[in-house]
Amino acid sequence: MGKAFDSIVFHGKNCDGCGDCVTACVKAKGGSDALSSRIKILPDGAGGFELALCRQCGEAKCVMNCPSGALTKNGDSGVIDWADDKCVNCLLCTVGCAYGGITYEAQIGHVIKCDQCGGQPACVAACPHDALAFSTIAGIYNSYGDKEDMFAPGLSACQGCNSELLIRHTMRRIGPNAVVAAPPGCIPGMGTVGYNGKTGAKVPIFHPLLTNTSSMLAGIRRYYERQGRDVTVVALAGDGGTVDVGFQALSGAAERGEHILYICVDNEGYMNTGMQSSGSTNYGSWTSTTPVGPSLKGKRSDGKNLPMVMMMHNCAYVATASLSHMEDYYAKLDQALETSKNGFAYVHVYAPCPSGWRFHSSKTIDICRLGVETNFIPLWEFTPKGGLRFTLPTENPRPITDYLKAIGKYRHLEPAQIEHIQHLADERLSLLSKFVRDTGARPAAE
Amino acid sequence: MTVQTKPNKVIVCEGNEAAARGVALARPDVVSVYPITPQSSLVEALSQMIADGELDAELINAEGEHSVLSSLQGACLAGARTYTATSAQGLAFMFEPYIRAPGLRLPMVLGIVTRDVLSPQCVWGGHQDAMLVRECGWIQMYCETVQEILDTNIMAYKVAEHPEVMLPVNVCHDGNYLSFGIARCELPEQGLVDDFLGPKSINWHVALDPERPMAVDPLTGGSNNPGPAMFVRYRMGQTESMGRALRVISEVHTDWGKRTGRHHAPLIEEYRMEGAQVALVTIGSMTGAAKDAVDAARDSGQAVGLVKVKTYRPFPAQAMTKALANVKAVGVVDRSVSFAWNGGPVYQDTLTALALAGQRLPIQSMIGGLAGADITQEHFERAIARVFGLAKGEGSTETHWMNEKD
Repeated sequence: MGKAFDSIVFHGKNCDGCGDCVTACVKAKGGSDALSSRIKILPDGAGGFELALCRQCGEAKCVMNCPSGALTKNGDSGVIDWADDKCVNCLLCTVGCAYGGITYEAQIGHVIKCDQCGGQPACVAACPHDALAFSTIAGIYNSYGDKEDMFAPGLSACQGCNSELLIRHTMRRIGPNAVVAAPPGCIPGMGTVGYNGKTGAKVPIFHPLLTNTSSMLAGIRRYYERQGRDVTVVALAGDGGTVDVGFQALSGAAERGEHILYICVDNEGYMNTGMQSSGSTNYGSWTSTTPVGPSLKGKRSDGKNLPMVMMMHNCAYVATASLSHMEDYYAKLDQALETSKNGFAYVHVYAPCPSGWRFHSSKTIDICRLGVETNFIPLWEFTPKGGLRFTLPTENPRPITDYLKAIGKYRHLEPAQIEHIQHLADERLSLLSKFVRDTGARPAAE
Repeated sequence: MTVQTKPNKVIVCEGNEAAARGVALARPDVVSVYPITPQSSLVEALSQMIADGELDAELINAEGEHSVLSSLQGACLAGARTYTATSAQGLAFMFEPYIRAPGLRLPMVLGIVTRDVLSPQCVWGGHQDAMLVRECGWIQMYCETVQEILDTNIMAYKVAEHPEVMLPVNVCHDGNYLSFGIARCELPEQGLVDDFLGPKSINWHVALDPERPMAVDPLTGGSNNPGPAMFVRYRMGQTESMGRALRVISEVHTDWGKRTGRHHAPLIEEYRMEGAQVALVTIGSMTGAAKDAVDAARDSGQAVGLVKVKTYRPFPAQAMTKALANVKAVGVVDRSVSFAWNGGPVYQDTLTALALAGQRLPIQSMIGGLAGADITQEHFERAIARVFGLAKGEGSTETHWMNEKD
C-alpha cells in the first residue's frame, strides 16, 4: 500500500471568515501582513468561504513544473518542500497549482507555501470554529497496511457497509492469536464464517447461536487460560444478538467478569434478514416490522441503550464508537483489547446501514459523523475506576434534524416525533454526564 | 491394563453424589453449573469438590442452562473435557445449544436427572424431559442403581470420545428415586479410571484454536450450487456413528467390567428371560421393583422375565427383538408419554423393532411413575397378570395408566 500523510482538513460550513487562521500563519512564519500568509480564506460566491492552501498533492503539478528541483515531495511528512537555494523564481509552480497553494510573495521576493508547521499547524490551533482540523488518521492507514487482513478479500457485504470496514480494521489490529464469534447476522451473512466447508477468515471463527455468543466465548477463554494460553476471544456481534436475544448470556458473562472482548456492531435492527426492528431500533424508525402507514408511524418505543446498561454492570471497560472517528475507535479498541485480558470489555459501535436505513452507500461515514455531531451518538468510555469520560466534545451539537433528514428511515417523521428524538438525545447526554468523574487523561487499563 | 486389586473404597451416598464422584474421576476440565430440582445436589457436590481442591476444574457459575451448555460447547471446541447436568425445564431452556452438539460432533457428557415437565406444574421424577429430546442425536443411557450412575458417568466419556463415535452422551438417572436415594457405592481408584479413559480426545476433528485456524460450522445446504450434499453427508455421518455406538457401548462396558468386576448390561439387561412366556420391558429405577415382582411371579411358577433398557439412544433394536423372540406377549412400562400415539416412547420403539423383525405379538403400553408416582411391586404384579392375559388373548392392548387411581 502507498503511504498516507497527515493533512489539514477544512470544514467550510463551520467557517465564518474571521481570519484568525491567517493571522496565526503570518505570526508563525514571521510575515508582515495578510498577504504573507500561506493560508487564505476567500468568499465562495455563495455566502460561504473557501480555502486557498497547499494540498501537499501526491502527484503535484508544482513539483512537475519546477525546472530547478526546488520543489520535492517529502517522503516522511508528505509535505511539498521548497528549497530556497535551488529556486530560480520562474514562478512556473504557481501556474501549475489549481488550488492557490503556492503563491509569489512580492515583499520577500519568492514563492511561499504551507509546510504544516512541522506537524503542528498554527492555523488549526487558532481556528475558533472547528473549521480547520489536522487529520493524523494517516498513521492508522499506514499501520493498517502493514498488518495482515484476517478476512477473505471477497466478503459479500452490501455496498457502503460499515460492518465490513469495522471488522477488517478490528481484526487486523487484534491479529491471528484470537477466536472470533460471529453470531447470525450481517457479519457471517457476508461470508466471514464461510459456506460449505470454506472459511471466510484466516483466524478461527464460528457461528455461535444468536443467543449464546458470550457464553461460548467464556468457555473457550476459560479453557485456554487453564492451559496457560493467552488467546483473545472476540465477539463481532450485531445488535439483535446483543441487546435482544443474546442479552442474557451477555449480562451473565459481564457479571462474572469473563475475559472477553465484545464488540457490538449496532445497525439498529435485523438488517441481514430484511430490516426488521430490534430492541436497539430508535424511536420513529421505519423498519419492515415497524412500518409506516395510516395507523402506525414507525417504532413506538425508544431503543434500548445497551452501552449504558453495560456500564451499570460495572464492566472493566465500556465504550461507544463510530467509524467517522477512526482514531477514537482505535484508541478504544486498544484499551478494550488490553482490558479483556483480565475483565469484560464491551465496545458499542454505531453502524449506520445504507440498505436498511435508506441512504446512499457513499454517505455511510457522513451519517456516522452526523450521529456524533448531533449528540445522538455521544462517544464515551467508562472504567470502574475512572468513571465515564466523553472522548469527543459534546458542546454545541448540531440539531437532531441534520441527522434525521439525512436518513430515509426517518423520512416520514412528524414534528412531534422529531421533538421526541431531540429530547431523547438531550436526556441521554444529560444522564451520561452524571457519570463523569473527571475530565482528565485516559485511565490505564485495569 | 489397570485392574482393581485392593478392596474398593466404599461410600454411602445418594445418586446425585455418585454422579458427581464419577464425573470427578473422569477429570473434566470445565464444569458449568446452574441449579434445578432434582439436579441441584449434584452440581453442589461438584462445586464443593472444586472448592476443596479435590477436583481440578474450571467452575463456571452460569446465569442459566442455556449458557451452561453454551459455555461448555465453547470449552469443548477449545479442547476441554466438560460436564454439567440438568432436569426438566432446565433441559428445555438448554434445548437450543443441546440440539447443536451432535451435529458439531462434540463428545460431551450431560447428566439428566430426569423429571416430569410443565405443565401441569410439577417438580418430581419422571422421564418426560429426557424422552422429549430423544430424537436430537445424543446417546442416552438410563441408570438403575446408584452404583450404575457412578460407573456409567465414567464410561460415558469413553463412549463419547471414541473416534468411531464422537457424539454427546446423556447419562440419565431418575429424579427423586435415584437422585436422592442413598445406597452403598464402590469408588474406583483414580489410577484405574485414568488408565481406562486414556488421554482425552475432544477436538481433533473440529476446533477453535489459533494454532489450527478453521471456520467452525460454516453455512451448508440449500438447493443451489453447491447444493445440499455436504449437509446430507453430515447427517448421514451422525446416524452411522449412532449405529457404531451400540458396539462401542458394549465394548466399553465389557472393558469396565474386566477392570472393576462390575458388569453392567450395556444395551439391555435380560432378567430371568430363560423360558419366559411373557416379558416386561422397563427403563430406569423402576426396574428394581419390577425385578422383585418378576421374582415373586417366578416363585409362584409363572414364566415371566424382564428386559431393562439401559441404552435407549441409539435404540438397541436387534438386542431387543432377540430378547423377546420367544415370548407370547409384552408389557412395556414407560415413565413418560408420547402424545402422538397415546402410549409410551419405549413402547413405540419396542413395537417398531418387533414389527421390523416380523415378530407379531400382543404388546401393551403401560405408563406409570409420572410426576414422582411410585410404581410398586404390586403395580408390577398387576402388570404381569395383565400381560399373561394378553398372551391368552384376554384383555385390551390399549394403553394402561398404572397410577391412574393412586
